Amino acid sequence: MEEFLQQLTNGLAVGGIYALIALGYTMVYGVLRLINFAHGDLFTLGAYLGFTLLASFGLSGVIGGLAGAGLLVLMALIFVGLVGVMLERAAYRPLRNSDRLSAVVSALGASIFLQNAMMLLYGARPQVYPVRLLPTASFMLMGVEIPFTRVLLFSSSLALMFLLFWFINRTRVGAAIRAVAIDQGAAKLVGIDVNRIISLVFLIGPALGGAAGVMVGLYYGQITHDMGLNYGLKAFIAAILGGIGNIPGAMLGGLLLGVIEALGTAYFAVGWKDAFAFLVLILILIVRPTGLLGERVADKI
Amino acid sequence: MKRFLSSITVLLSLALAVPTAHSASTIKIGLMAPITGAFASEGKDMRAMVELLAEELNKKGGINGTPVEIVVEDDGSEPRTAANAANRLVSKGVNLVIGTYGSAVTEASQDIYDEAGAVQIATGSTSVRLTTKKLPNFFRTCPRDDEQGRVAVATLNSLGFKKIAVLHDNSAYAKGLAQEAKAEIEKDKGLSLVFFDALQPGERDYTAILTKLKGVNPDVIFFTGYYPEAGMLLRQMHESKWKVPLVGGDGANNIDLVKIAGVEAAAGYRFISPPMPGDLNTPIAKNFLEAYIAKHGAPPSSIWSVVAGDAFNVLAEAIKNVGTKPADVSAFLHTKLKDYDGLTGKISFDAKGDRVGDLYRLYEVDNQGRFVLK
Repeated sequence: MEEFLQQLTNGLAVGGIYALIALGYTMVYGVLRLINFAHGDLFTLGAYLGFTLLASFGLSGVIGGLAGAGLLVLMALIFVGLVGVMLERAAYRPLRNSDRLSAVVSALGASIFLQNAMMLLYGARPQVYPVRLLPTASFMLMGVEIPFTRVLLFSSSLALMFLLFWFINRTRVGAAIRAVAIDQGAAKLVGIDVNRIISLVFLIGPALGGAAGVMVGLYYGQITHDMGLNYGLKAFIAAILGGIGNIPGAMLGGLLLGVIEALGTAYFAVGWKDAFAFLVLILILIVRPTGLLGERVADKI
Repeated sequence: MKRFLSSITVLLSLALAVPTAHSASTIKIGLMAPITGAFASEGKDMRAMVELLAEELNKKGGINGTPVEIVVEDDGSEPRTAANAANRLVSKGVNLVIGTYGSAVTEASQDIYDEAGAVQIATGSTSVRLTTKKLPNFFRTCPRDDEQGRVAVATLNSLGFKKIAVLHDNSAYAKGLAQEAKAEIEKDKGLSLVFFDALQPGERDYTAILTKLKGVNPDVIFFTGYYPEAGMLLRQMHESKWKVPLVGGDGANNIDLVKIAGVEAAAGYRFISPPMPGDLNTPIAKNFLEAYIAKHGAPPSSIWSVVAGDAFNVLAEAIKNVGTKPADVSAFLHTKLKDYDGLTGKISFDAKGDRVGDLYRLYEVDNQGRFVLK
């Protein structure tokens, strides 16, 4: 039982990160029907940005503790969001009216570009966050040792998710985003500036990915230029698992995937961890192609 | 065009003129090394090492009065170039060759030397299959991959660990080492293998695996993979306050490991590895490394160039005793050379041409994050 609970907390911590990244996939898909394959690399960009701010700009001496970590996350959030907007301008907008395959190829190209640019800038060796801003304390809960940082990691990803959920469902701009997602033409007719809404979506999605990147850097320490591939792929599965295009679905899918992986590791073979993730994806696509919370839209793809 | 052609002719005649400039009354020893390509830093060290040894030997009058000449060929760190390099050396009449570093690169040249009847002493090529072909004139001064598994288990045993968990990362190297270790553990009745599985390299979160490992309660975890994962494991073990010792193989001996894990978490981590050049503590090695540093400003960056130096030393020893005929040299190395005092310790060869004797050492990270020889 103790081991089960321990694995559950392990899974939730990883799942929180998956969920945060999955939101970026799902928002872009919901509005544009486009899988933004560069999203994983925007996540990596966030991690490297945090690293640069701490190591090169000497912020590690100026900021410290939790407030410092929060500030770092905020800076990455804004910067990666802006990169997301630029990416949309450069790689997706010119292809808005061409067929869907061109946009997917363009997304893959953007992903390769970003990954290699980071490798050239920072080198292929792993980089390590220079200081530990987060406290190393931990506490016991029902016989399980839980590091405080894990709780922080999990609760800040939950907080960001709920903030987004509130923004989409309770504000005027959020309503406009939902309108564009349902019907771009009709949204235009009622006076919504569709281009601005799409830019906004490309601000929010990558921003959350960038925040997740800094959080991973702060917590795990080690970052590599290709880590976006693995995290991106898992988050993509999470988005499909929950129903792509659906915001609560991405959250649920991410957390669920994290837990499935941890429990798969615990009760089956460790080496098969990724196989479980992909098995879940296959099963979902066969049994319920729209995902757990996805709407039944016959002509989606 | 005419001018271009004439400049080519000049260049060609220059290139052709160079070999004839050497005198014939020297003992030629070939060095096939990765001067360019992925292993270039190793190759440059190998060359510096062997040339300095030859220089010192020649200062003392060479071998039985005849000076030694090193003929260097670049294997480009890749098999195809190595085959060309081997052909060039053989056609120059060089039939005593040192090299090379990469196992696949060495393998591409093996048959060429064998057909020419030349003696080849490989330096960094640890792949097992190189000596299972039973080539009569092939030797190596580095240990075989399976040697490390044997040494690792013996070391764990002598440290008092009985319940051993083996963790690898599914890469060819790490899995091979893990399987060697597994076989060794199963041979010994006093030891038990409580865990054998792989992690996914390149991930950030290994807590699920660590929790599972905790469940089997091992005395020690032997991790055969590389340093980025070893660093993450140490960091996350430290965070969850689990204090089981982690021991690594020589894929996890990069100093970056301490950066990844943090000094506090890395302290006490041990790994099995060939010694670093600075840790070679025999008088012969110390004197020579001082001369090396005086000439090149820094010690060689890894042990693999030092074993190239040892290849030169055993060749020189053989020539001194039986002359330069490859068959005689080969017979001498196989049977007569016993516990020769090399730079990296005692050297003998078995019937297959593998080096006999332990090269591996145990290292530990101290509480300042330095690698210390135990």
